Amino acid sequence: MKKQTFKIPDMTCPNCAMKLEALEDALDGVKQIDASYHKLEMVVEYDESKLNEEQIIAAVKKKGYTALTI
Amino acid sequence: MPSKYQSSKVNPVVLVALGVALLAVSFALIVFQPSAPSINADAGVWSQLLVAFVTGITTGGLSCLAVQGGLLASSLARQIEEDYAAQSVAAKKKKNFAVRTNSALPIFLFLIAKIAAYTLLGALLGWLGSFLTLSPLTRAFLLAAIGLFMIGNALRMFNVHPIFRYFSIEPPKFITRYIRKTAKGTDAFTPLFLGALTVFIPCGVTQAMMATALGAGSVALGAALMFAFTLGTSPVFFVVAYLTAELGAKMEKYFMRFVAVVVLILGITTLDGGLNLMGSPLSLQNLKRRFFPENPTWVAPQSESSVTGDLRLDVKNSGYFPATLKAPANQALTLDLITDQTYSCARDFVIPALNYYQLLPASGVMTVNIPPQPAGSKLFFTCSMGMYTGQIVFE
Repeated sequence: MKKQTFKIPDMTCPNCAMKLEALEDALDGVKQIDASYHKLEMVVEYDESKLNEEQIIAAVKKKGYTALTI
Repeated sequence: MPSKYQSSKVNPVVLVALGVALLAVSFALIVFQPSAPSINADAGVWSQLLVAFVTGITTGGLSCLAVQGGLLASSLARQIEEDYAAQSVAAKKKKNFAVRTNSALPIFLFLIAKIAAYTLLGALLGWLGSFLTLSPLTRAFLLAAIGLFMIGNALRMFNVHPIFRYFSIEPPKFITRYIRKTAKGTDAFTPLFLGALTVFIPCGVTQAMMATALGAGSVALGAALMFAFTLGTSPVFFVVAYLTAELGAKMEKYFMRFVAVVVLILGITTLDGGLNLMGSPLSLQNLKRRFFPENPTWVAPQSESSVTGDLRLDVKNSGYFPATLKAPANQALTLDLITDQTYSCARDFVIPALNYYQLLPASGVMTVNIPPQPAGSKLFFTCSMGMYTGQIVFE
């Protein structure tokens, strides 16, 4: 399991964090997502054998946001 | 084939029992509130409710839509999809192609549950606020804090500085997870349950209205304010429920600035009310009087037997007349407050500097004793909401 933090600069309210956390159900291999509007970031815990950073960034983009690795 | 969105069902019996219990609690709180204001008689209360409703139908609806609309839309989308699939199968079998969905009922249930939950929340906030409204000064600080909260939220929406993001309350993760998982349900009770759960994810405007309900300091008024506001948000929800969750995101971006402007105006107005109630010369109305002075009016005692004071002030539904009184310095005075079918909050008369607070009769005369004041000083007076103001200038 890998824990990766992404900066999400275009979150506008706590609901954005909720929308991003919904990726937990959509992405196979994700164990947990903690997104924070206050910090404008998202911490993803995922199985590296099933998922990679690029796929996560693409999924975030599909939700209408930009994910930057930090 | 089992749906991948299938989730644990909500037990209808538990839900109904919970609903009945919540309604009973709110009813008890409203009925047994010892100092509940008479809503029927107070025009000021009705104007507050109207403002709450209009806020709901305009900015509140759009702002709540941005935060909660996605949940409803995604829940309904599945229902509509399933209905459509079922009808397609039926149409193939019966050669009947009447496309009809059952989306109106879940939307209705969602909105009813939302209104009921927020009304109860308003009652609870009003009840909590009743412990805080011990004096006009406490109320003033509460109003000022609410105003600052609204202004902070507006500045957050304008993205002025990262610090303003902390004016937005993030619901605990376990709640958002629970709501998300509940939203996947496809049974009829899911929208009902989701509607009630939206109290845990209030939008910025709703949070501001919740703060107002807290400041109302009354169970009945708190509940009525939240009811009027949530009722106002309902038409927008109802219309948008037919659209996709994607529209919610687009609307959020499009209307954010507009919502921010309205919240900013509401915030400044509320803060100004708090400053008026503190008797602060820095309130907008008092600053206006300072920089654009009106002609002070000397008001002589009237001839009616009931009016014996040195000064006379007419307390009307639309405020105090004259708004600026001139009075001699360094001598004790009496001020007659004249009401004549006055039902607005102007009746709740406050002189902050004297710590004087009195609910005036709807029609009649109330006399206030004013101790000697130094020349050049001003005594500000206001209603208990900080809406209507005036001053006595001592010369």
